[in-house]
Amino acid sequence: MSNQSIVKRKSNWPVFLRRGLLENIAIALIGLGFLMLFQPFALVLYTYSFITMLVGTVMFIIVSKFPE
Amino acid sequence: MSDMPSGKPLVTDTNSSILDRAATAAAHATPEPLAKKVRGLSDRMVAWIFIAPTILLLLAINIFPLIWAIQLSFTNYRANRPNADIKNIGLQNYSRILGDADTWIAMQATAHFVFWTIALQTLIGFTLAYLIDRKFRGHAFWTTVILVPMMLSPAVVGNFWRFLYQPQIGLFTYIISFFTGIPPTEIEMLSNVSLAPWSIIIVDTWMWTPYVMLICLAGLRSIPDYIYEAAEVDRASPWRQFWSITLPMALPFIMLAVLFRGIENFKMFDMVNLLTGGGPGSTTEVASITLKREAFEKWRTGYSSAFAIILFVAVFGLANIYVKVLNKVKNR
Amino acid sequence: MSATAHSVVEPSKVSRRIAGSVVVVYALVSMIPLFWILATSFKTPPDSISYPPKVIFTPSIEGYCNLFTTRTRQTAEYIASLPPAETFCDETTRKRNMVIAGQSNFLPRFVNSLIIAFGSTFCAVFLGTLAAYGFSRFKVPLADDLLFFILSTRMMPPIAVAIPIYLMYRELGLSDTALGMILLYTAVNVSLAVWLLKGFIDEIPREYEEAAMIDGYTRMQSFFKVVLPQATTGIAATAIFCLIFAWNEYAFASLLTSGTAQTAPPFIPTIIGEGGQDWPAVAAGTTVFLVPILVFTILLRKQLLRGITFGAVRK
Repeated sequence: MSNQSIVKRKSNWPVFLRRGLLENIAIALIGLGFLMLFQPFALVLYTYSFITMLVGTVMFIIVSKFPE
Repeated sequence: MSDMPSGKPLVTDTNSSILDRAATAAAHATPEPLAKKVRGLSDRMVAWIFIAPTILLLLAINIFPLIWAIQLSFTNYRANRPNADIKNIGLQNYSRILGDADTWIAMQATAHFVFWTIALQTLIGFTLAYLIDRKFRGHAFWTTVILVPMMLSPAVVGNFWRFLYQPQIGLFTYIISFFTGIPPTEIEMLSNVSLAPWSIIIVDTWMWTPYVMLICLAGLRSIPDYIYEAAEVDRASPWRQFWSITLPMALPFIMLAVLFRGIENFKMFDMVNLLTGGGPGSTTEVASITLKREAFEKWRTGYSSAFAIILFVAVFGLANIYVKVLNKVKNR
Repeated sequence: MSATAHSVVEPSKVSRRIAGSVVVVYALVSMIPLFWILATSFKTPPDSISYPPKVIFTPSIEGYCNLFTTRTRQTAEYIASLPPAETFCDETTRKRNMVIAGQSNFLPRFVNSLIIAFGSTFCAVFLGTLAAYGFSRFKVPLADDLLFFILSTRMMPPIAVAIPIYLMYRELGLSDTALGMILLYTAVNVSLAVWLLKGFIDEIPREYEEAAMIDGYTRMQSFFKVVLPQATTGIAATAIFCLIFAWNEYAFASLLTSGTAQTAPPFIPTIIGEGGQDWPAVAAGTTVFLVPILVFTILLRKQLLRGITFGAVRK
């Protein structure tokens, strides 16, 4: 039954806003944030790691509500 | 119809009588709007009565303090001076932490610890799981033996490792010097700047490799035999079978273990605090130790709250991914 | 699985034997530290710090004596003037020119650990069972988000949580009390309990309760009389996991308790004798502390996988 409702909703969403892709981008952002936090090369990257992780996490929470 | 078994019957007992009942229920064949016709509280009510206490407890003990911490992170509050003026200093705490080269270096101690523990544990853990999956005689017994360290208290056992690491009298140093010939007085695992980071990695690997092993083992066992049989028919070499069947099929499980160990080691406190306390100097000062020093030794509560929020966001991000992988594994 | 295995996927005898020996060697090596804890707890202090480390030694319970007592140094004349020693502990202490001055803090700390671990486990399992049933059987709005919220609270770094909790407990007068620690551990454990128990309750067929309700049971009655008895194994396993966590916990305990409510993990590292750490006593305390967990681990071995994956992997 949940299958049907998803199919119904699917048509209203443009392809680039679907969950899979956006979720992967969010995960990549979180991962990138971690790399920036941990890397020993540039202080600037460390400085912006937190905001990257924050954006990734918030984005993940939002897009996980999007239809497949 | 007989009455329900009263009191607390044996599980098997209940089972059979319940099964009878289920059969009777099926025979009636009209349980459609069942939930609505049941006497007593409505399902909606029951659901909320059951769930609310847990949510309320978590709100009180976890979420309320978290919100408080967020609020404090914008101030210069110090917990040891509760009567001093609390000034709102905006994002200054955050910009100081994230612009500070010392904190950055402390973060690299964490990175070193997290990276090497995960690398070693995954490698050793997966190898062990692969070997145990050969199902030699007594494998169940030895699996249980291997699992013991991960159940023990990291603090209490970590503390005892301090003894094993003592130069000269420690067993670990003795064994190392026995095999390498280095005089045992020169192996100072805990006070040598280049060895101390490895001393905590060794203990963590010893403790948590079984964890990774157990999850990898579940992954290997979830691969159905027929896939290997098909590969055998196609004459795929064992090497190819490993890379194209075993590893990809077990990957979600490995990810699960890696993510969880990553989260746990990112916030590692107890074992490191007892083994090295962040020393010598700050070579093993992982993030949680820095946080403890700022919050409970220097009493810079506002500043440390901001640091706590930064760590929290990092863990929360990983936790999101972890649950995603968890659901993936669950559906296998 | 081994029963259904076919010849093509069955590993050869040689590969099995090699695999077996590697695993056994790893298991034995990983047991060395634990063996050493046990061995050290039965050594005398001089034996424990000898070089090379002594594998063969005359066992003594001096470590256990020192664990449970405090001692003061006395002159030889004073010790000679005392009535003859009554217990073994008296005797060994006097040989080191000391007399037993009283009980150490280990026993009260151990009792604290017991009270806090059992108290919080009971509360967590109680709340967890109710919530797990709720999530398992009813359509709860935002169920997935609530479940994630519950799990994420367990993932928070303990030190990060400890800062506001410390302030909160200071205001409420809960710092260094058993009640405060029980509340805190309940909150941490309830997340594990909900996730694990949801898995166990999901496995109990709904038809059982539906049948009971057709017979005129209310939802509550069917929960208590049908679901609970079926979930006993799951509840027991969950309880042991919660117990082990609360028993082992160190970070909160070391930051939020200092005296009356201190548990054993922050206490054991502070056991010191004359001239540094009294390793046999520390080892004795560690042994006493670890034995219950060893027993539980063996009891739990079939459920471990479930426990560490929050109920997701059931084998």
